[in-house]
Amino acid sequence: MSFEFSDAGRREFDRLLTRYPDRMAVVLPALHLAQRELGYVSDEAIVHIAERVGTSPAYVEGVATFYTMYNRKPVGKYHVQICRNISCSLLGAEHLIEHVSKKLGVAPGETTPDGKFTLSKVECLGSCGTAPVMMVNDDYHENLTAGSIDRILDGLK
Amino acid sequence: MPNLTINGIAVAVPDGTTILNAAKTIGVHVPHYCYHPRLSIAGNCRMCLVEVEKFPKLQTACSTVVTEGMIVRTDTEKVRKAVTGVLELILIHHPIDCPICDQAGECGLQNYYMTYGLHKSRYALEDKVHKKKVQDIGGQIVLDAERCILCSRCVRFLDEVTQTRELHIFSRGDHSEISVFPGRPLSNDYTGNLADICPVGALTSKDFRFKCRVWFLKGAESICTGCSNGCNVEAHFKGDILYRLKPRENEAVNRSWMCDFGRLEYKKANDARLLAPFVREGGAEKAVSWGALVPRVALELSRAAEAGPDAAAVIASPQLSNEELYLARRIATELLGTRNLAFTHRAPGDGFEDGFLIRADKNPNSRGARLLGIPDGAAFDALVERIAAGTVRALLVFGNVVGSFTEAETAALLSKVPFVAQVGTNDGPVSKVATAVMPSASFAERGGTFTSHAGRVQRFRAGFAPRGKARNTVDLLVELANRMGAGWTFAGEASVFHALSATEAPFAGMTYESVGSQGQECKP
Ligand code: SF4
Ligand code: SF4
Ligand code: FES
Ligand code: FES
Repeated sequence: MSFEFSDAGRREFDRLLTRYPDRMAVVLPALHLAQRELGYVSDEAIVHIAERVGTSPAYVEGVATFYTMYNRKPVGKYHVQICRNISCSLLGAEHLIEHVSKKLGVAPGETTPDGKFTLSKVECLGSCGTAPVMMVNDDYHENLTAGSIDRILDGLK
Repeated sequence: MPNLTINGIAVAVPDGTTILNAAKTIGVHVPHYCYHPRLSIAGNCRMCLVEVEKFPKLQTACSTVVTEGMIVRTDTEKVRKAVTGVLELILIHHPIDCPICDQAGECGLQNYYMTYGLHKSRYALEDKVHKKKVQDIGGQIVLDAERCILCSRCVRFLDEVTQTRELHIFSRGDHSEISVFPGRPLSNDYTGNLADICPVGALTSKDFRFKCRVWFLKGAESICTGCSNGCNVEAHFKGDILYRLKPRENEAVNRSWMCDFGRLEYKKANDARLLAPFVREGGAEKAVSWGALVPRVALELSRAAEAGPDAAAVIASPQLSNEELYLARRIATELLGTRNLAFTHRAPGDGFEDGFLIRADKNPNSRGARLLGIPDGAAFDALVERIAAGTVRALLVFGNVVGSFTEAETAALLSKVPFVAQVGTNDGPVSKVATAVMPSASFAERGGTFTSHAGRVQRFRAGFAPRGKARNTVDLLVELANRMGAGWTFAGEASVFHALSATEAPFAGMTYESVGSQGQECKP
């Protein structure tokens, strides 16, 4: 199975290629683009991006696996990412992760059987002032408590 | 030329020199893992920390360029403590594989542990991160991700030297791991170098794994015989077995690298060797002593020469050294008085080349043969025609193959000659049909010079004595010639090189000393 961007995706990729003086810089936005189209970054998408940028799949894989924002496996409808870095951790993030893990019945890195939720622990989400923080798909939720997390997750259809 | 002091020693070095290299010039070793003189600077291992006066924090010696008046210390308690800490961190996730690890004996971790380590572990064994061991990642390399210290030398080598980028660091933090992309193994012709540059046992040679502990090996400066590039190599052997070839640095030829094909050339010194002289009588091989064989070959060649000007012939080989070719030529022209002299390329002869190190001509000394007045090409074809026509009565042939002929073609051609004497190292189409077989020393068992495609005359040195009853070709040729009345007084290769450089214009003025370890350009 090989990967192809949608027509809109291809136009976006071509535009990205003209945007940076160094072709390699396109790797990050290209990975985002692939993830937007597929929901995650597949092996085929990595090979395709490597070929178009003119580097090796290993190089692109190195970039994709360095950042926690790229999913290398399919994720559920809602991707729940909880920060476990210093500020969040000091304000009880570990405990919140455990809470969510129990609530959803999955360990971090896993997806619920119904495909609705994927739980991930991530490094600093860059919102330390409002720690603890989690991200559900593209939305930030701040100053969390076990109660507020329950309300947020329960409200998701 | 900034002036600085390192550990109280004053030194002046060129602009742009790093502290690590400046220290090296005065014999101060700064420990390092990620720094490699042929690769870009990564500065990621932190092993090379040093104290620089007026800098509040320790600096990495590999990436800090010296400035005028700098005062550097590599020997303080502060430095020692930092380096010990770095080593402790590196060793946290490193397996204690040393008893079975092929890097043992030339391992950066083991070596520095004795100087900087010796600490008690503050880390619980069960917290160690385990990674995948023994992965075949293609080429000549096996990867043990668990032993990797993430110095990124391999990544930079594949990025900067081969530009194929098959390896990369995946994930981050203590999950970081070197790997290839699934289904995309190493695919370049220089993979063996990865085992050389990996400072630990993460990348080891498939071929060499578990064959021998490195501290049993001895080394001899040699030249790769795999093609005409003349890569400088070190031949590693134990007893009379050659175990591996490693590149030896030569800025003008191969920098620090060699190709994967060349690396396997060592097998020729071990496998399918001709080890004792024999003659073939009525189709059967019969062992014979050197003492009986050499006079007989001399007699047959002389007799043929007397029968007519071109009834004797010599087929030389570009696998021979300059010294051997020079003697072979003199035997043909002076003692046998024959025009029948040419050299033949070893099959597969001319082939693939890549614009980096690998040359199309798969012989180490074609250039030397031509410079010494031994022709190939049309002259070789003409000689083959005369042999096929049945006019040659005695033939002296060097090497194990004739041109690109198959075994059957070689047998058919040589059957036209009543007496075929071979000087060869390995079993092959020629030894299978020759009348007299004279086993010769491999490149690891003799010394001499080759002339590379670029005209660089380079020395290779004997590691150990010829195996079995094989003989040094120079000694053998001198004895053979003297049996034919030459009256030569050569004693060893050096004396032949001396004579050769005195009479052969391209080599004029050269001596073994001037050729040295790095070679010397011959005169065009
Ligand atoms: S790389 Fe090999 S020899 Fe070196 S410390 Fe590790 S296991 Fe021991
Ligand atoms: S495999 Fe070896 S060379 Fe590559 S990063 Fe690891 S330790 Fe360094
Ligand atoms: S530590 Fe969690 S957002 Fe920065
Ligand atoms: S050698 Fe300087 S940081 Fe690695």
